[in-house]
Amino acid sequence: MPGPSDSSLPRFASGCRWGTQGEERVVLFPEGMIRVQGTGQKILELCDGQRTVAEIVSALLAAYTGADPIRIREDVANFLEALQQKRIVDY
Amino acid sequence: MTPNPLALIAEITHRCPLHCVYCSNPLQMIGAKAELSTRDWVRVFQEAQGLGILHLHLTGGEPVARPDLKELVEGAHGAGLYTNLITSGIGLPEARLAALVDAGLDHIQLSFQDSKDEPANWIAGTKAHAHKLVLSEAIHRFPIAFTVNLVVHRQNLDHLEEMIGFAEELKPDRLEIAHAQYYGWALKNRDTLIPTREQLENCLRLVEAAQQRLSGRMRIDCVVADYYARYPKACMGGWGRRLMLIDPSGQALPCHAAGVIPGMKFDNVREQSLEWVWRESAAFQRFRGEQWMPEPCRSCERRAEDFGGCRCQAFLLTGDASATDPVCTLAPTHHLIENARVMTSCDREQVSWSYRANPD
Repeated sequence: MPGPSDSSLPRFASGCRWGTQGEERVVLFPEGMIRVQGTGQKILELCDGQRTVAEIVSALLAAYTGADPIRIREDVANFLEALQQKRIVDY
Repeated sequence: MTPNPLALIAEITHRCPLHCVYCSNPLQMIGAKAELSTRDWVRVFQEAQGLGILHLHLTGGEPVARPDLKELVEGAHGAGLYTNLITSGIGLPEARLAALVDAGLDHIQLSFQDSKDEPANWIAGTKAHAHKLVLSEAIHRFPIAFTVNLVVHRQNLDHLEEMIGFAEELKPDRLEIAHAQYYGWALKNRDTLIPTREQLENCLRLVEAAQQRLSGRMRIDCVVADYYARYPKACMGGWGRRLMLIDPSGQALPCHAAGVIPGMKFDNVREQSLEWVWRESAAFQRFRGEQWMPEPCRSCERRAEDFGGCRCQAFLLTGDASATDPVCTLAPTHHLIENARVMTSCDREQVSWSYRANPD
């Protein structure tokens, strides 16, 4: 599957969700979990199936003033594509 | 410092409508009267969360045989656990599944014995296959993760390619291809289940090809039969390191089969907290770490990778639970595995096996 487009609506795949381990937020999925921190966590928190990739990029740009929009768009696409491969995210 | 466990396996009942010849339940099963109450289970789930456990696997027997399954899922979800139901699908009509999903079920793992009705029912010892097909369609109407589990062995590995194709049509998120492991009933039937070397090699090729072809659509995990491995498996990720199993009566075990090891005393969650069992109980400490290891494990470079292999397999095959797992090519008892690999015919006419019985 190719990476997400600007109009894709990323969301958790069926049966994947947030959980907590101690103080940390983790992503739970069948037979596994991943820790996501920093920007990764921020991106995933915006993936609610309502926001488009373009909207997620704008939200991140607003949060990280001075960031390069092309770079952010690329980071978001790569991150979501990697999670899609693991069947954690759909878009 | 002992790390926290990652997952809890809750064998909530040994009752089961299937009679699979490879069942991992112990030969001595626990009857319905001795099962833990709803309240006890829910308390155990809360304690599990407190101990840092993330995943709960509700299994059996057939877990849907418990009429209070919805309350158990609710309790587990309320405690914050990621809840997986490992089921044959028998006794789980769509309305009941809907109630479980409402209660917070995250993941369902549905087992298939084969791709076609007749051989599947032959292995399960009952007419189960058609019900599973109906349920697998219904699962797609709910927002939960879906794993198809194919249990493979000598009697079905010759048509594994067709079985993978069958599983693909069921469109699960994940496919687990699990070679039967020789404990409980499966050990009794080992001589008819153990694959040939050609079957195993063909299986690995097919799995790799399917993983590449289906990447991003379906995750494929494969658990192989360790009788052909060079080194033993890191059973349960090491004794008392990652997993804890509670049997239907509340006994806490480090794995499914540990009950076979003589001299083990298992504490019960009716009397002890999960944390105490994990950190202090004799059963969980018995083979933790490296002190118990004999040579060649004790000085082996791989001892922190495979932990000397499986303690139950070591006992079942050598009579000594502290021996090196005979699967290891370095083990002094490795000839036991070589002897077991001597094949009988694959011809179904010649197969006579023991179907799993049911508890009282």
